[in-house]
Amino acid sequence: MTTARRFEADPTSPRLLRRRGGDRTELWTEAVGELPPVYGEGWLERDGRRFRRFEPARSKLSAGIAGGWDGPIPRPGERWLYLGAATGTTASHVADLVGGDGAVYAVERSVRPFARLLATSARWPPLLPILGDARTPGAYADLVPPVDGLYADVAQPDQVEIVLANARLLLSGSGAALVLALKTASMGRDRTAGRHRDSAEERLAAEVDLDPAVKLDPFHRGHYLVGGRWRGEPPARPRGVIRSPGTPRGRRRP
Amino acid sequence: MNATLVIPFGRTVYLFTAGSERPTGFRLPDRRGPARAAAIASAEELPGALVDALDRLRAAEELHVAGEALARTLAGRTGRRVVPPTLDEWRLGRRALPPIPLPEERAYVRSVAAEALGSALRAPEEVLITLAREEERLERAVGREQRASEAMLEVPDSPLVEYLGRWAVTRAALERHHRALVETLESTARSVAPNLAAVVGPRVAARLIAAAGGLGPLGRTRGARLQLLGSRRRPSADRGPRFGVIYRAERMTDVPADRRGAYARSLAALASIAARADATTRSSIAPLLLRRRDRRVEQLRGRRR
Repeated sequence: MTTARRFEADPTSPRLLRRRGGDRTELWTEAVGELPPVYGEGWLERDGRRFRRFEPARSKLSAGIAGGWDGPIPRPGERWLYLGAATGTTASHVADLVGGDGAVYAVERSVRPFARLLATSARWPPLLPILGDARTPGAYADLVPPVDGLYADVAQPDQVEIVLANARLLLSGSGAALVLALKTASMGRDRTAGRHRDSAEERLAAEVDLDPAVKLDPFHRGHYLVGGRWRGEPPARPRGVIRSPGTPRGRRRP
Repeated sequence: MNATLVIPFGRTVYLFTAGSERPTGFRLPDRRGPARAAAIASAEELPGALVDALDRLRAAEELHVAGEALARTLAGRTGRRVVPPTLDEWRLGRRALPPIPLPEERAYVRSVAAEALGSALRAPEEVLITLAREEERLERAVGREQRASEAMLEVPDSPLVEYLGRWAVTRAALERHHRALVETLESTARSVAPNLAAVVGPRVAARLIAAAGGLGPLGRTRGARLQLLGSRRRPSADRGPRFGVIYRAERMTDVPADRRGAYARSLAALASIAARADATTRSSIAPLLLRRRDRRVEQLRGRRR
């Protein structure tokens, strides 16, 4: 006979819960929607509350939190911008974290994943999908109000610049959160993952008060969770729209 | 600031006249379906009150307009100088806008998303990709059913005979469905990528476009990679695959088996040129490419004898 293990709410984000099991701690989020699960994740109902398993192997944000991420996490009632939402695996958990009074503006540029994201969003109230390219924040600025936080998982060579361009135009101001799931393999094979992380942090540090980066190994090899608090207004630039440095944009490789 | 700032947000165009901190909103009339103020493309769609307000401004006043489509429309309608806002103007202006109530905002953003998805999926290229994937799936299903039925033992005077008869009817329906799909697919492929369809055949052309993720990406694919598109093995320096979907290209069976790798290489180079023409100039270069293709086939057949 086993007794039910207790859920413990995270002190900064009460809709994020930890549950001890043996030698490891599981992460769960409190669901804002009803069954069935969004992507086949674990599901528990207790005392009328619904919980979804937030698996580190499935989500870089979860892997970061499990690895001791000390920086900002979405909190109830906040508005977050989510770049690179794909089919909405992690985005649905971010929607859980901001809860029924928050909003997650989920930007995705590929049409087919976006179709699934839109279908999920119909039953996940805070999740608001936007079909667009994160390289041109000006193109969807008329749909996104100033946001309290930005989470990005865009896996592009210029991911840092993409994040900064969005942050400059769309964040609500100093103290807003900025979290980037950095994929170093997208930044070239000429340097080690750690060097890529250093160069990304160096570019971010000009405008962001960084929290210590978390390595996402072994769940996501060569990835880091980096970010912190937006420091304030950077020097003004002539245009709010960035240009891609001419990278190939083929969607799939053989 | 002696310019007027114009920021579209949702269905509303907000106007910050010089010196004022609070914007004036001009809401688009609620039509059927979503309307984005940022996407107003013709002067008739502009709210009348907004045009009046702009007409009242000093003649020399510049407009700083966020949103490219709206900027073009306003430039055309007012004849004023229109430039994009500076980042600071845009950012501070956005923060001064009144928020949309949450339930209304959710419904609005979703309806914009549904419309954007619909128009993206209606593009001929996306239709072609959808058809190509469906056809591939269906082709596998037809083959699987065929093999399964051949493996079934025919036992005379048993219920199995009757069952096989009914199964054959179902298979025939599946094959009819497949043929009809192939017809649609091929005519779509011929109109989306006429040159490529001529060089490798319409069905293979459709699969190449689907594998590359679109005609644009395929146009940017060089021959060496195009040859391997759709291949299930990992490319490697020494013993990689030689064929992807190109193995089923036209005239592949006219080439001796031991020369097919060479043919695939040449054909991929021609196909890459064809795809580039289809993706960019859309000029008809198929006759030239077909002459080269057929000459190569003859070469490869001759060398063996």
